[in-house]
Amino acid sequence: MSRNLLLLLIVLVALLALAACGIVAAPPGATTTTDPWAFVPKHPVPTDHSHIIQGPFESGPDVTRACLQCHAQAAEDFMHTTHWTWESQPVEVAWRDEPVTVGKANQINNFCISAQGNERQCMTCHAGYGWADDSFDFDEPANVDCLACHADAAIYNKDDYGLPAEGIDLLAAARSVRAPTREECGKCHFDGGGGNNVKHGDLDESLYFPSENLDVHMGRENFLCTDCHQTEDHAIKGRLLADNIHIDPAEQVACEDCHQGAFHQDERINLHTQSIACQTCHIPKLALKNPTKIRWDWSTAGQDLPEDHYEYLKIKGAFLYDKNIQPTYQWFNGNVAYRYLLGDVIDPTQPTALIVPAGSIDDPTAKIFPFKVHTAQQPYDTVNNILIPPRTAGEGGFWTTFDWPSALALGAQDAGLDFSGQFGFAETTMDYPTTHMVQAKENALQCTDCHGDTGGRLDWQALGYPGDPMTWGVREVVKRATAQPAASTPVQP
Amino acid sequence: MRHSFHRRLLISLALLALLGMGAWAVNQALASPKPAPASQISPIHPAFPLLDAEGQNVLDSGAALSLGQTCGACHDTAFIEQHSFHADLGLSSLTPPGETGSGMPWDTSTGLFGKFDPLSYRYLTPKGDQRLDLSTAGWLQVMGARASGGGPATTARNGQPLLSGALSQPEASILDPVSGQALTWDWAESGVMELNCLLCHTPEPNNAARIQRLQAGQFGDAVMATLLGSGIVEATEDGWAWNAEAFDANRALKPELARIQDPTNQNCAQCHGLVHESSEPLALAACDLEQPQTATTGQVISAQRINQSGLNLSDKASLTHAWDVHAERGLQCTDCHYSLNNPIHYQSGGDQQLSHLLYDPRRLEIGEYLVRPDHTLARGQSAQIGLAPESKATMRRCESCHDAVPTHRDWLPYTERHMQEVACESCHVPQLHAPAIQAADWTVIHADGTPVTDCRGIEGDDTVTDLVSGFQPVLMQRTNVDGQSLLAPYNLISAWFWTYEDANGNVRPVRQIDLQAAFLVEGAYRPEILQAFDRNGDGVLAEEELVIDDEASEAAVRAQLAALGLGNPQIYGQVQPYSINHNVVRGKAATSDCQACHSEDSSLAAPMTLASRVPGGVLPQFVHQGNNVAASGQMAIEEGVLSYRPDPQADGVYIFGHNRIHWIDWAGALIFVGVLLLIGAHATLRVINVRRQPKHAAAATEPVYMYDRYERFWHWLQAFTIIFLFLTGLVIHRPDMFGLFAFRHMVTLHNLLAIVLVANALLALFWHVTTGQIHQFIPRPRGFFDQAIVQAKYYLHGIFHGAEHPFAKSYRQKLNPLQQLTYFGLLNVLLPLQILTGVLMWGVQQWPQTAAMLGGLPFLAPLHSLIAWLLATFVVAHIYLTTTGDTPTADIKAMVTGWESVPVQEGG
Repeated sequence: MSRNLLLLLIVLVALLALAACGIVAAPPGATTTTDPWAFVPKHPVPTDHSHIIQGPFESGPDVTRACLQCHAQAAEDFMHTTHWTWESQPVEVAWRDEPVTVGKANQINNFCISAQGNERQCMTCHAGYGWADDSFDFDEPANVDCLACHADAAIYNKDDYGLPAEGIDLLAAARSVRAPTREECGKCHFDGGGGNNVKHGDLDESLYFPSENLDVHMGRENFLCTDCHQTEDHAIKGRLLADNIHIDPAEQVACEDCHQGAFHQDERINLHTQSIACQTCHIPKLALKNPTKIRWDWSTAGQDLPEDHYEYLKIKGAFLYDKNIQPTYQWFNGNVAYRYLLGDVIDPTQPTALIVPAGSIDDPTAKIFPFKVHTAQQPYDTVNNILIPPRTAGEGGFWTTFDWPSALALGAQDAGLDFSGQFGFAETTMDYPTTHMVQAKENALQCTDCHGDTGGRLDWQALGYPGDPMTWGVREVVKRATAQPAASTPVQP
Repeated sequence: MRHSFHRRLLISLALLALLGMGAWAVNQALASPKPAPASQISPIHPAFPLLDAEGQNVLDSGAALSLGQTCGACHDTAFIEQHSFHADLGLSSLTPPGETGSGMPWDTSTGLFGKFDPLSYRYLTPKGDQRLDLSTAGWLQVMGARASGGGPATTARNGQPLLSGALSQPEASILDPVSGQALTWDWAESGVMELNCLLCHTPEPNNAARIQRLQAGQFGDAVMATLLGSGIVEATEDGWAWNAEAFDANRALKPELARIQDPTNQNCAQCHGLVHESSEPLALAACDLEQPQTATTGQVISAQRINQSGLNLSDKASLTHAWDVHAERGLQCTDCHYSLNNPIHYQSGGDQQLSHLLYDPRRLEIGEYLVRPDHTLARGQSAQIGLAPESKATMRRCESCHDAVPTHRDWLPYTERHMQEVACESCHVPQLHAPAIQAADWTVIHADGTPVTDCRGIEGDDTVTDLVSGFQPVLMQRTNVDGQSLLAPYNLISAWFWTYEDANGNVRPVRQIDLQAAFLVEGAYRPEILQAFDRNGDGVLAEEELVIDDEASEAAVRAQLAALGLGNPQIYGQVQPYSINHNVVRGKAATSDCQACHSEDSSLAAPMTLASRVPGGVLPQFVHQGNNVAASGQMAIEEGVLSYRPDPQADGVYIFGHNRIHWIDWAGALIFVGVLLLIGAHATLRVINVRRQPKHAAAATEPVYMYDRYERFWHWLQAFTIIFLFLTGLVIHRPDMFGLFAFRHMVTLHNLLAIVLVANALLALFWHVTTGQIHQFIPRPRGFFDQAIVQAKYYLHGIFHGAEHPFAKSYRQKLNPLQQLTYFGLLNVLLPLQILTGVLMWGVQQWPQTAAMLGGLPFLAPLHSLIAWLLATFVVAHIYLTTTGDTPTADIKAMVTGWESVPVQEGG
């Protein structure tokens, strides 16, 4: 009797389940995408160190030694990262016989130009204590500055050569340690190039308290830097184009790390992802809140002109700043086609690109990507046609003497370059990929921003298209890639 | 040393120069964003000389430009003018007044030239009319801004050129606004306006100058004025002069000035409505008739996101989609409204389409097309434009570009049915976000001569400072050229105005000049008018006083009109539906919530306010347009506000969850509740009797295997299915009462359950037939009624007294005569009927004709509900009667286990 009842129940339940499946199987707008939240790390409950750490501490390295008592491997791990070395692994490049390294330690940009010889100021942002010159011991674990990233940025500050600033309460700083927040990362990265938003255009102090319309991740969802720049054993994901030549995708942060699948509700937009980087539509403008530097003319430095932070400083020369800038677009596959290395000969009659993003319309892995372009006039040796980094903040540097010949001679010596004594100023450019200050779909670009008669954001012919792909069609490599599967199936005449 | 110094100096100088150049270049690049590329200028249009009417180069003759000669050198301008309703505007289809099919005794055509539009309120006086309002010249002055030239601007109503001199009245006259007299119009002096190619085919035509010339009556200069400011022609004190600089050595226009192009959205916008293409926040003036399309419908053509506009819109932050998705996707007006012989877009439609041919590759050569481009532009099925009916529905509509089925099938039940009944726009233009005109009351005028107008979708009149709410269009049934009827969105504009009968008994709208004379004297209200309208006696007519809402005010105006010699002045009210087809939205911005329509407050039946006043109590009449739009709803006045409530059911559209026949629900519920009450009474009596009667020894029972395993299975499966069919059916019928459940899923579930029910019923039938058990259900004729009466007596009497069941239940004979009767009816009538109506309702999208033959949804759906009530009544009675077995649960147990205790049968 009960068996029959059971049977009946099973049949009924099965029927219900069937009906339920019928409903659930076809929810509106079903897609096979993955939930991006699945990739966002959970924030562990921080361990309050205020009762763990006992002072007193005489110096920074004292604090580090205390840290290492528990986190024995931390310094060792950290010392393998570029936050410590400021230098990439050796890489083969086509235009040099020997493998080369690049990084802040040994190469130049077209902002403050070079850290070598200017350690007193530049190393304020090095996560170590006392990098003053070549004699700095990179193998000494106690030289690692744990507090730079882990102490509450409101309590801890660094100064000359990366040493703790005067008057810092090291014990209080050590007791405040935590997983880095936007405050700690931002302290250096928001001020890249020597001030708020100077260098990147998409990273500035407005991100400490971002609004929803400033950055969807940090503003709407209150992301930390480390939610995307995920870290394992102090190795932090994310590579800057300017400090690398070969970028391993595994070390880079990508939107697709979390946003996977054809998740746009619009089929047309999903097709765009074959040739358009997410950033292109989702970062319509850069320098949304604070102006960023778009030009630096070193040649006018040293004169007694009226000073203005945004226009002219005697020590630095003339600038142009701008905000709400439309990025510059070019093909980019995530790697570097060329990076200026000290000693590379330039053609002073042409602007020299210190960094050339790799990619072209014929590269199936390249996509149209937004860049901030920074141009400069910077010193070079007119005889050897090489760029010369001046000594600026360092002793006897330009910022104290305002004398180019001596500053350049000292700088050449710091960098190990031959300097003829003859110098001029060459035009250089640097491209910084724009990837922060991401906008939600409500603020993303729309079709007519790029397409049609009213568009104009993209110069199709400069990008290699015969014309607007809305009417001229997609690029050849995409056509070929999408045509292949069809070619294998016989076509009925 | 010197040498080196020199060299260094040289290098330094060179460097400095280079540096300066570099800095300048960078500065330039930074300071000025790249100039927009000259857009859409045809790269292949050759340079051409400008010719005058004699075909002479204007540089030689200094005469006026003739586009007929200039453009006509290559293009067949006569053909173009003949094939352009933009030129014709109704001229070629002029009829005697009242024969246009609009239902208006004064209309003479269906176009701008001849159809009386109470919004502009000027009347093109037909030939032979007593009182002159607009002659052709007057029409050009007042309405010419919306005329592209040619047609009535060059040709008289009799087909002769206006300049031929052989003109009949009123074409050779004009109304003098001061004296009210007809003056003679000298066409030779004013000139005529030939079809103005430049207005649509050059990037920045000077339309303002053109309109200014038209208003001044200098029709002949209108085309030239279009070029003012381009550098080709310059205004001088005594007219204009050609600028020799604009021409090259061959005396042709310089290429950079010969900017001939396909019409852009901006060209169309000049006459039609707001087109906004820059990144500046969009701004608009509410209900401004200079942008007629926007004023009458609220349609705005812009790719800009609505929340980035400059309008003070309610809930603006959430409006993150573009005003118009097609504009956002880079479509131009001409992509849909293309020239009908454009070889790119041309399609043979309607009965010209061969059934086996999808594409006809035999096209016009591009050169042939360019010589004779048909300027009849493809268009849809709109209500308010009756011009050139042969070009209606020539446009590609939604479904000829979009395959909507794949994008709707996965979430919209009855996709095809929805597409058959509801135009795409109904869901994809759910809301207009710009204000539109609601009503114009010309039965009264302000002291400045303007009527009292209402604008819907805005609380006030300034779109920046007053709150703009936009409005939901009303859905009306539109019958397409192919006969298909669809619910489509409209704005309804009501207008009231005075009409009079002239000496010949013709009814005409009262002329503006007469209206002003009736109300005003020297710019102020007449004392008689003031007295009749000034209810609070303050000597000033406030807006709310300026309305004809009592006999005194109506009589006062009528008296003034009569004093002007106007016979039988009457108030006339009309409602003109304006079709809404632009401002399409997609995705979440479109209506996709089932209950937006399938509910009590269905947007398909959402009322639309027509006016906040009903002048003279006159209900307005819908303007007929070849019966294209059906106004089957009702008008109602509530607290002085007139509104129109659509009645989809009257259009044959039955909306589940919205429509129902109340008496059916009431009757069904009454039967259901009545049976419940009967059961209650019966059960109470049984309980009382059981208590009252002495307990006598229970009769001996024996277990009998009553129901096979399969019998029990099909019974319970059917029970389960039917219960859930009731529940889901209820949700579909009254989603407002069961909002907890998703309507969409309920529909799907209801259909699935119905399939289970039908399959189960068929299998059970098969089982009953093959096992012979079917005999149980067939009443044996002999003595059936006697037996039935015996059984009925038992239920009505015996059961209360512990009597034995009159008919013993056995494996072979489970049903008593009453049951047999009931099941006979149930299984032969109710259930098949319910299945049939259900299948037909499900089949409305597959076989709409079959369903329609049987009354369509308006008949089938209520019948389905009625039977559902009856079936529900059966179910409760059935459940109750199962308790009448040997013990109250014996029958239920039997249906679960198969074994039933039945009294021992003697000799059994």
